[in-house]
Amino acid sequence: MIAVTGIGTVSSAGVGPAALAATLTLGEPAARAIDRSEGFHGEGSARLAALVDPRHIQPLLPAMEARRMSAPSQYAVVAARNALAEAGLGIPAEPDSSLAIVAATALGPASYTQKMFDQVLDEGPRAASPALFSECVANAPTARAAIACRAAGVNLTLAQGEAGPLRALARSVALVTSGRARAVLAGAADEMPPLVHAILDRLRALARPGPGKSEKARPFGSGRDGFLAAEGATLLLVEDERVAVERGVTVLARIRAHGTCFDPTAPAGRWGTGTMGIAHAIVDSLARYGLAPDAIDTIVSGASGSVEGDRLEARVLSAAWGGAPLPMVLVPKAVTGEYGGAFLAAAVLLLAGIARPGAMGVAEPDPDLAVGMGRIDGACDIRRMLVTTLAAGGSASWVVLERP
Amino acid sequence: MQTQPFTLPDLKRIIIETLKLDGVTPEMIEDEEPLFGGRFGLDSIDALELVVALEKRLGVRIRAHELDPSAFSSAGAMLRSLEPRLITMRVE
Amino acid sequence: MASPTGVRTAAVVTGIGAVSAFGWGIEALHAGLRAGATSIRPITRFDASAFPTAIAAQVPEPDRARTRGIEGWARMSLADRFAVSAAREAVARAGLPGDLSSRMAGVFFASSTGGMLESEIYYAWGRHDGIDRGPRHLLVSQQVNRPGEAVARDLSATGPVESVSSACASAALAIGLALEAVRDGEVEIALAGGADSLCRVTYAGFNALQAVDSRPCRPFRADRAGLSLGEGAAVLVIERPERAAARGARPLAVLLGAGASADAHHMTAPDPSGAGAARALALALDDAGCRPDEVGLVNAHGTGTPLNDVAEYRALVRVFGDGARSIPVLATKASVGHLLGCAGAIEAVATILALGDQRLQPVPGGGDSDPATPVRLAREATAVDCRIAVSLNLGFGGCNGALVLGRAGAEAGAERVLEERQR
Repeated sequence: MIAVTGIGTVSSAGVGPAALAATLTLGEPAARAIDRSEGFHGEGSARLAALVDPRHIQPLLPAMEARRMSAPSQYAVVAARNALAEAGLGIPAEPDSSLAIVAATALGPASYTQKMFDQVLDEGPRAASPALFSECVANAPTARAAIACRAAGVNLTLAQGEAGPLRALARSVALVTSGRARAVLAGAADEMPPLVHAILDRLRALARPGPGKSEKARPFGSGRDGFLAAEGATLLLVEDERVAVERGVTVLARIRAHGTCFDPTAPAGRWGTGTMGIAHAIVDSLARYGLAPDAIDTIVSGASGSVEGDRLEARVLSAAWGGAPLPMVLVPKAVTGEYGGAFLAAAVLLLAGIARPGAMGVAEPDPDLAVGMGRIDGACDIRRMLVTTLAAGGSASWVVLERP
Repeated sequence: MQTQPFTLPDLKRIIIETLKLDGVTPEMIEDEEPLFGGRFGLDSIDALELVVALEKRLGVRIRAHELDPSAFSSAGAMLRSLEPRLITMRVE
Repeated sequence: MASPTGVRTAAVVTGIGAVSAFGWGIEALHAGLRAGATSIRPITRFDASAFPTAIAAQVPEPDRARTRGIEGWARMSLADRFAVSAAREAVARAGLPGDLSSRMAGVFFASSTGGMLESEIYYAWGRHDGIDRGPRHLLVSQQVNRPGEAVARDLSATGPVESVSSACASAALAIGLALEAVRDGEVEIALAGGADSLCRVTYAGFNALQAVDSRPCRPFRADRAGLSLGEGAAVLVIERPERAAARGARPLAVLLGAGASADAHHMTAPDPSGAGAARALALALDDAGCRPDEVGLVNAHGTGTPLNDVAEYRALVRVFGDGARSIPVLATKASVGHLLGCAGAIEAVATILALGDQRLQPVPGGGDSDPATPVRLAREATAVDCRIAVSLNLGFGGCNGALVLGRAGAEAGAERVLEERQR
């Protein structure tokens, strides 16, 4: 069985799993005002984002090392080192071809690309900075993490929108099972600069302030109007459970199953109507691993507060459960926001009992959606969770995590 | 058009600013100390970054084949390799 | 990788499609490669006069017949259009219907820039006049996973749809993922490939790195001075041999193996020792059950930059020994430019065409080889008897990918070799 033995995470909650777990348990997002001084945001736009506080990162990355790194690269390097340390592994003395990295990005290296393009537009193409450009590739964070951790194995940067982090985790299982990697750092890295925030708002994707309501992401909630934009990096250390046990390190979660599918009715950047196709794909993939929906006691849903996305997901889950009542549904993105992979860390922290689910249920569920779990009380015994994300644009990915 | 002589401290300031060498002052950079692969850990991208900065500030055009390691090996060597071009500019 | 049954099986390529600066479609690409021509010309996609260089392998306008009937064409980015066109061609050539929803079909795609060209237009307008005014569709296709999704949407694929963005090694890695999915039975049909379009950001960026030659690139030549950028798309239809046979599809080539590694060395310069790239190649050969001495053709990454070609030559020496000087080498980028994320896909297609022809594709532009990179560069359309070929890609950030391709019918040979090794 392939297992998660370390969590490295950088988010608005801080650096490290303990900070994230504390924020999740409290149930309030660490959201701050986005800088609107560049003038990209319009009237009535979203104003908040779950941003990484640079003061949390600076002490962990010497200035000379970080001087040319874009934000997502910095987050990825810190998260990678954090994950290795949490898993009781050091940085190899020489490049280690048995250490792989599989990380996803949804938005890519936005701020450096913008800066470089500003140079081209303002001063002409000859003013373009080579240092900025070297960080303008989607795989810059993965490459930086590989250099920092001497990970010379497979180095893969995946893109599957919001579902990317789960897909990266799924890919890491195959790498270990096939013997192509002894250990994999799997997860995601993304940044949320003001321009991207403004564009997401322009596309009506973000929760907005309004008369009589606060700007808040309400996954599966009535009156939801969008998600909370976030940034950061999360990398999970994934390895063979037997090897972990021999090393004497705590196994946080087993990766029991995974799957992915596509809904071709989804227009670019939106959600479609392929409820049954996705539901069948989930049920079929569980069956391939000898599981049925009734073996799942918790759903950690990637519902983010998106009007369309959450609606489709609710329908998919209902259909997958054949109309029967769903098990406990948790929605960490109310706290972590969307992008940066903290959602992935949240799922593992919840399974391992390090974060409490109490504040992560669906508050004020939308009556049109059959997802009726309210606030959760008491200690919940989570043994086997389905973790899902339906991405805008059609992809859907899921993973089943199990208590070891 | 340059109206003032371009000095070694000027060059060092450009190096520090362009390459974001936080906490480094011009006095800390020895005139002939190796910049690349030395204690500042500068590499080929930094060399190219300097090229762009120098082109902007001084109006000189520096092509890749001129990036002879010896011409860019230290602040002193850099200034010496730039000087003929700066003199030419002032004459024009 | 080993499938759950422990046996590494080959997959077959039953369809190929491409869009390149030679034109829309495989025929145009094939004709250009056979003739040893280059498609690298002055750029008209945007005003390149202020850039240090002004040439690239730019795709010409399509004729109307190609764009008719493709839903959503007007709102697609150029990269999406290249992708969808190449995918439709590959599927048609494979004898498959344009609606794959009744089969378990997956898309494993690569892109470095996605809809960046269109986003540049949006941003250039919007940064002073307000970003709420520009048309939405210019933004929606920006992300690097959009071309692969456009393909999946157009062909109604319902299986895994994943995109890889690992710089210049992306497509080789994506094709590797497709091979894995086919071997594991996760998909019946895999569409693997890539798409990238020229854009100002990448053109400016590579020029800022002083990595672009003002002439068409000259891989492995003594006077090489940098790369030439290109754009386009390439798609392969990949499936298991028995499935292809059952539906009467004729394999064009065999996909025997894939390998990947990282240099963990530097953000833009390859590890000069070639060790990382050599490892990817060795892993691919091992995955294919092939020995280095069975390889009759190498499609090099061959960008034409001083550093890349040297590192690559050293990688070839590590794997092939003396063979690094005697195995014929194709340098496709001199013909179609560097397609970045898509490069590995169009180079795999070029390799498949060469295996089918059993002829080398002459590299355009003469000139002496660099004594420091003494590969046997294909200069003429020489006939060859080649069963096994490899394609190698070395990417920015040190990602390396390699593929092993065989002439149609070579899968039987690979299984025999695998059996011999297992005894």
